[in-house]
Amino acid sequence: MSYFNIDAQAQNTYDAIVIGSGISGGWAAKELTGKGLRTLVLERGRDVRHVTDYPTTNMQPWEFEHRNQLKRDIREANPIVSKCYAFYEGTEQFFVKDAEHPYVQEKPFDWIRGYQVGGKSLLWARQTQRWSDFDFQGPARDGFAVDWPIRYADIAPWYSYVERFAGITGNKDGLATLPDGEFLPPHEWNCVEKHFQKKIATRYKDRHVIMGRAAHITQPQPIHFQQGRAQCQHRTICERGCPFGGYFSSNASTIPWAAKTGKMTLRPHSTVHSIIYDEAKGRATGVRVVDTQTKQMHEFYARIIFLNAAALNSNLILLNSTSHRFPNGLGNDSGVLGKYVAFHNYRAGISAEYDGDLDSTTDGRRPNGPYIPRFRNVEKQETNFLRGYAAGFSAGRSSRTDQSGVGADLKESLLNPKLGGWYVGSHMMGETIPKETNYVALDPTLKDPYGIPQLKIAIVYDDNDDKMVKDYQEQLTEMFTEAGFKNIRVRDDHRNPGLDIHEMGGARMGKDPKSSILNKWNQVHHCKNVFVTDGACMTSTSTQNPSLTYMALTARAADYAVKGLKKGLV
Amino acid sequence: MAGAVGGLISLPAWANGWTAESVRSVQPFISAEQTELLAEMVETIIPATDTPGAKALNVHQFVQKMVADCYDKSAQDRFKNGLESLDSWAQKSFGKPFSQGDVAQRTGLMTQLSKSADSAQKDFYGLVKGLTIRGYMTSEYVMTNLTHYQFIPGHYYGCVPVSKK
Ligand SMILES: Cc1cc2nc3c(=O)[nH]c(=O)nc-3n(C[C@H](O)[C@H](O)[C@H](O)COP(=O)(O)OP(=O)(O)OC[C@H]3O[C@@H](n4cnc5c(N)ncnc54)[C@H](O)[C@@H]3O)c2cc1C
Ligand code: SF4
Repeated sequence: MSYFNIDAQAQNTYDAIVIGSGISGGWAAKELTGKGLRTLVLERGRDVRHVTDYPTTNMQPWEFEHRNQLKRDIREANPIVSKCYAFYEGTEQFFVKDAEHPYVQEKPFDWIRGYQVGGKSLLWARQTQRWSDFDFQGPARDGFAVDWPIRYADIAPWYSYVERFAGITGNKDGLATLPDGEFLPPHEWNCVEKHFQKKIATRYKDRHVIMGRAAHITQPQPIHFQQGRAQCQHRTICERGCPFGGYFSSNASTIPWAAKTGKMTLRPHSTVHSIIYDEAKGRATGVRVVDTQTKQMHEFYARIIFLNAAALNSNLILLNSTSHRFPNGLGNDSGVLGKYVAFHNYRAGISAEYDGDLDSTTDGRRPNGPYIPRFRNVEKQETNFLRGYAAGFSAGRSSRTDQSGVGADLKESLLNPKLGGWYVGSHMMGETIPKETNYVALDPTLKDPYGIPQLKIAIVYDDNDDKMVKDYQEQLTEMFTEAGFKNIRVRDDHRNPGLDIHEMGGARMGKDPKSSILNKWNQVHHCKNVFVTDGACMTSTSTQNPSLTYMALTARAADYAVKGLKKGLV
Repeated sequence: MAGAVGGLISLPAWANGWTAESVRSVQPFISAEQTELLAEMVETIIPATDTPGAKALNVHQFVQKMVADCYDKSAQDRFKNGLESLDSWAQKSFGKPFSQGDVAQRTGLMTQLSKSADSAQKDFYGLVKGLTIRGYMTSEYVMTNLTHYQFIPGHYYGCVPVSKK
């Protein structure tokens, strides 16, 4: 009997365990296997193999029974996920349905999730802007949260490292607020976007309109061909999965790369319940996993553990990993675990029309668009709110058909649309301030179908966010007016936090173990062989889409972990 | 390349998914007679000319599938009540059941409905017309032969002179 146990234990032992196979977990798997570690990747969802498991990727618009509109019963059964713009008939299979994985909305927070191999990397909008020191120095300068234990120089080489592999399109703009990266050729501007860029550059010396940087292969390099990926073909239906591997996803890139090393064991249908802490050894020894198909509990062991279950689920796992040493969750001596969660404020937008440039139009489609880096409070505090916002911007030419008639006339006008004027639009991406009162915790009574406590979420906007919305509307109105745009309309849709899908924090990095969970290497201060490198680690949120930073932090932490193992630091 | 000649249009693949049989087998929604009536109505809105009309493209199956699967009860009731009343509205307008009217009579009735002060008429017409346009414009026939949809454009050009398009 004891022989059997030892055998079972040996069989279930790896060098490293990675929890989650999304954007950050895929990178952990790639880096750890690449450095020779036998790595077990645990993923709660099903396997999704590149191309073969993208059921809708080659469907033409007319092949969708409901032309991509959600069915009523699906919409009604899923009031939360139905709010996400990317959830439609062709993508339903990649989103968590509300009833499948319930959570407690102590305050209304729309939690959008993708549980499968690849996680949300299949679904993301692929925007990849770097952070700058204006972002990393934010908390220290403005006196909120805690100081980041790293600066831009610490992460810059790792941005370059992940950008080259992932394939990032962009233009070198030379801006201090948004450092340049390793770019493939940028996407094209249209005439009205160029016009706006020029007007803003003339009128404001500190405001810039640039082409977004995005994870699309505009010109494949040998490293992309080696991954089996090819040039992006501008279909702009990426969230259905891309057969060309034109955009970066774990499924197209990091996971198959890790598999090729022969060092990876990928175990889908494996929900991690908690991390096992060995009091005698003073370290984590493995994880407890519920097999979602058999509902059996298993244990797996390893020397290091990378936690990449996406920000809020990583909090849940840490909170649920209790022991004598850590009665309030793994590494939670400070009591801050689950707290200081923040997100991005996407509430406001603006749209208008433009009656110039009528002799030009566009052709084809572009899976990206221009971007306005943060210009508020950059060098110093200058408004009645802290921090600032970035903004997306784009222009397009409308087509008009007269649909008033009936019969042959109607048909004639439908088939001969007239070119209309230009429309322009923008949406805000505001930094929110992490606060102790914005938190997640384990519900004391409610459990999920696998006996794991449900997550209770209490995250709301504050006065700073409201002021920022107002400022965005005013400043963009001024900028649109400057450019001669007409019929300007601003909006604030008062959406719940969460729909931005950029939730961050809860297990923040910091210099002081008394006020943070992770050190500057994403290592749990009090449990050195556990690394958290997804959004849970973020001390503050900046205005930039976060996933590129998760990738860079993950590669950096994996490098440190493997070197540290040899030196006894881990 | 307005392709097909006369009535020689082979049914596209999706149309198989929209046959009366399959729609009804999922959910009995409207009767066979009403389906025929709806077909006449969508054909009146977008008729066959030198290219197929809405009926040949099975747009009536699309319309009823969308109403059954995607719309809420009040829209479904409006749709069913409208179909039930269509013949009596036709009687009032031109003294015959809808399908026996000539093109001018049927088209005239559509225009009357669109301007009607009675919201049951106006909303019913608006619902069917909107879905007819959508089903027609997103049909395989129209997207491939008439509007030349590019599934894989392979590019984005930002500043193309209008004259070149
Ligand atoms: C529509 C949309 C648009 C977006 N646009 C952008 C954008 O433009 N730019 C950007 O930077 N970000 C964007 N994002 C956000 C981006 O997708 C996430 O930041 C990113 O995927 C996070 O990576 P991750 O590895 O932390 O989590 P995920 O990619 O979500 O992966 C987490 C994985 O862990 C698994 N998991 C969870 N719990 C457990 C458990 N207990 N045991 C085992 N496995 C578990 C999940 O099933 C999942 O596969 C967007 C997201 C969406 C949905
Ligand atoms: S836009 Fe590019 S990456 Fe997206 S689906 Fe199309 S080809 Fe693939």
